[in-house]
Amino acid sequence: MKTRIVLMSMIIGVWANLATATPVWFGKPHAARVLRINSSLDLASFAPLLERFVALNPDIRVSYLDVNTFELYQKTILEKNNPSASLVISSAMDLQLKLINDGYGQTYTSPVTAQLPSDAKWRDQVFAFSLEPVVMLVNKDQYPGKLPQDRQDLLRTIRQYEEQMTGKIGTYDIRRSGVGYLLASQDARQADATWGRLIEAFGSHQLQTYCCTHEIIDDVASGKLLLGYNLLGSYASQRARLDSRLEMILPKDYTLMVMRVALIPKHASNKGDAGRFLDFLLSNEVQGMMQTKALLFPIRPDVTPVITPYVVEATGPKRAIELDQQLLVGRDYAKQRRFISSWEIAQEMKPK
Amino acid sequence: MWPRSAKLKSLTEAPLYEEREVLKRVPSLRFRLIGIGCVVISIIAALAINFVFEYSQRLADLSYDRLLRSALLQMDENVGLINNEVSIDIPWSAFATLAQANEDRVFYKVESSEQGFITGYKDLEISPPQTPIYDKVQFFNRQYSGEMVRFAFLERHLTEPDATGTVRIILGQTRLSREELASSVTQRAVDIVLMIALVAIALIVIGSHLVLRPLHRIERVLEERLPGDLTPLDIDTPQETYHLKVAINHFMSRLQDNLEQLENYTADAAHQLRTPLAGLRALAENARDQTSPERQHQALEDIVNQCDALSQTVTLLLNQAVVSHRMQTRYREPIDLLTPVTASCREQAVTALHQGVNLSLETELGSAMVLGDAFALQQMMQNLIENAVRYSAQGEQQATEVIVSVVAFATYYQIRVVDYGKGIADDEKERVFERFYRGRYDIAGSGVGLAMVKDIVDHHGASIRIVNTEPKGTTFEIDIAKFQMEVTE
Repeated sequence: MKTRIVLMSMIIGVWANLATATPVWFGKPHAARVLRINSSLDLASFAPLLERFVALNPDIRVSYLDVNTFELYQKTILEKNNPSASLVISSAMDLQLKLINDGYGQTYTSPVTAQLPSDAKWRDQVFAFSLEPVVMLVNKDQYPGKLPQDRQDLLRTIRQYEEQMTGKIGTYDIRRSGVGYLLASQDARQADATWGRLIEAFGSHQLQTYCCTHEIIDDVASGKLLLGYNLLGSYASQRARLDSRLEMILPKDYTLMVMRVALIPKHASNKGDAGRFLDFLLSNEVQGMMQTKALLFPIRPDVTPVITPYVVEATGPKRAIELDQQLLVGRDYAKQRRFISSWEIAQEMKPK
Repeated sequence: MWPRSAKLKSLTEAPLYEEREVLKRVPSLRFRLIGIGCVVISIIAALAINFVFEYSQRLADLSYDRLLRSALLQMDENVGLINNEVSIDIPWSAFATLAQANEDRVFYKVESSEQGFITGYKDLEISPPQTPIYDKVQFFNRQYSGEMVRFAFLERHLTEPDATGTVRIILGQTRLSREELASSVTQRAVDIVLMIALVAIALIVIGSHLVLRPLHRIERVLEERLPGDLTPLDIDTPQETYHLKVAINHFMSRLQDNLEQLENYTADAAHQLRTPLAGLRALAENARDQTSPERQHQALEDIVNQCDALSQTVTLLLNQAVVSHRMQTRYREPIDLLTPVTASCREQAVTALHQGVNLSLETELGSAMVLGDAFALQQMMQNLIENAVRYSAQGEQQATEVIVSVVAFATYYQIRVVDYGKGIADDEKERVFERFYRGRYDIAGSGVGLAMVKDIVDHHGASIRIVNTEPKGTTFEIDIAKFQMEVTE
């Protein structure tokens, strides 16, 4: 019952957001065709790619709507028969895969998607175009003690510097962020005991929860937070390069690797251009561009032979989240309910 | 000019064309063999492909059902009381198992008899088509979410102390991987079956050619022969056509023998005619040179006698030719043996009397049915009687009696021709039947009469013996089988 209320409130939230959200347009205003993309990607990382796309395809105008991963999932289901977007991009791999499993996507094949390794696509309906590490971001200036190398270090620091750390750790609200839930559930899957201790430590030290990555990064940079946990590597590395106060850490015990995946909704109005854009994202040029311009971590890093300074390599074991049916387990109704409720108990949070 | 050449051409080509037309109409052994082979192989291939198709479907289901069962059991193992309610903690590994079917969508639902829906897809119809048996996994196909889905279903009693009732789990995956596996198996098998079928057909085509090649070779060798060449075929043939070759060679050697016999006969006949002709010429010269009319008259009388003898010889040769021709071409038919015997006796009676021999026929039979050729039998009797009469005149004392008799035995009739002449020496008895053998050259005769008798006897499946007549003379005995009417019981 509790969860249902939560879900209801979230759906209301989606509607409220949708009402206010306005898309960003790329390309000539009078272009013959319009491609609408709903995406959870930060526009900062994606805008250069969109500019390039409309430059190559002057007859296409792209509308880009930035939507939170969980809202994006809800929206795609709500718009099942008449989707507003012809392409849906999200880093919440599990929700994207569930959409495909439940029949919300359609098949697309092209010579470009055929080149994609089989673990970067599923059923030719959902395609990964980037693979990036999940990282911790630390404010170097204010972090007490040695910078953490892994989760155990973080736990020790929390125990050691309880006062300084209280209220200074931020991560996603797994109830509001799809990708936040995915990363949390994958943490629980990878190291259940560590995860248990982490949420306990987080909960007892007033964990700050957010909907979106950039807000966490902003707060870490400003010093409002000392550490952001489970952030997407592409955003974190961009900011860490520019901001000397920030240090990006790839946990040495294990580093989760998450894909950004795109799908074409079943009744998409402009399947052709959605496919064209997908091919564009997966093309050698754009995959290379992601790397050289430090926008994203490409799914096919091999296409750029030059080692760019932006490449980060995890020093510990990498745990890529598999784009297959296993993702459904994390989104199992009973499991999800228990996971969220144990999270809430740990955070001493009460549902609104 | 051209019509003539066209006519010539048509004349030479007509038989060839006709032969070709006939060849078109007769069935070809080779094409029949190939046709039947192709049909049989096609049927076998179709059956095999059909079998493979069903088998691959079963195989695919069998292997993927194992995955499905394993995933279902892993789920089932994790059903239990969680926070005082029956729930399930689906293990990641269960779906990792299902992920081996790479592209297949997964649907599931868990419910308990007490709490109802626990997790999964709410709108999924859980009841299996067959009445569930507790703890037994059941598989079935059912349409769901726009696709055919393979489901595994399990219902079991809850065993936790605080839980009652049953839990039902249904887990399904789409059939993509199964179809892929089945079609790859089928494809491979179909390729192999088709290849085997093609090879088999090729073997039949080549094999039939190889099998018939020795026949064609024999045919070619025979065609290329010179007309008179009857020497044995001297080519290597496989076992299968060896007997054909032997049969042909045997046939040719018989033909060769016959031809040689004919040549000998012709030569001997010419020889036989030349001697009396030479005598005739000598007599004629003698007559020409005689001055006295009485002697000239006598010489002319001798010429007439010689002409009679010559004419008799020619008649005999002709009769023999007719008889041998009849024996080669006519079948035997039921006849009354007495008819030719009586006829020949009647014909010879007067001639015999001229030579002072009394010819008599003795028989008590009303009829004597045998399978035979009346003309040939009459010729046989005539020769025997002539022979008997001729020999009766020999010897120191003129024999006056020749007796022909027909006697019935159990299975055969015996014809006897008895004379009281000089008789035949034992060592000559076997040789008298040889062609142109003449016991005595001072006695007129062609030397072919008894040989012809022997031929006719052989032709009738009869037997002939020569025994001595008491007190002197010769008796010919011929046993000829009775004609048995077919009696059906």
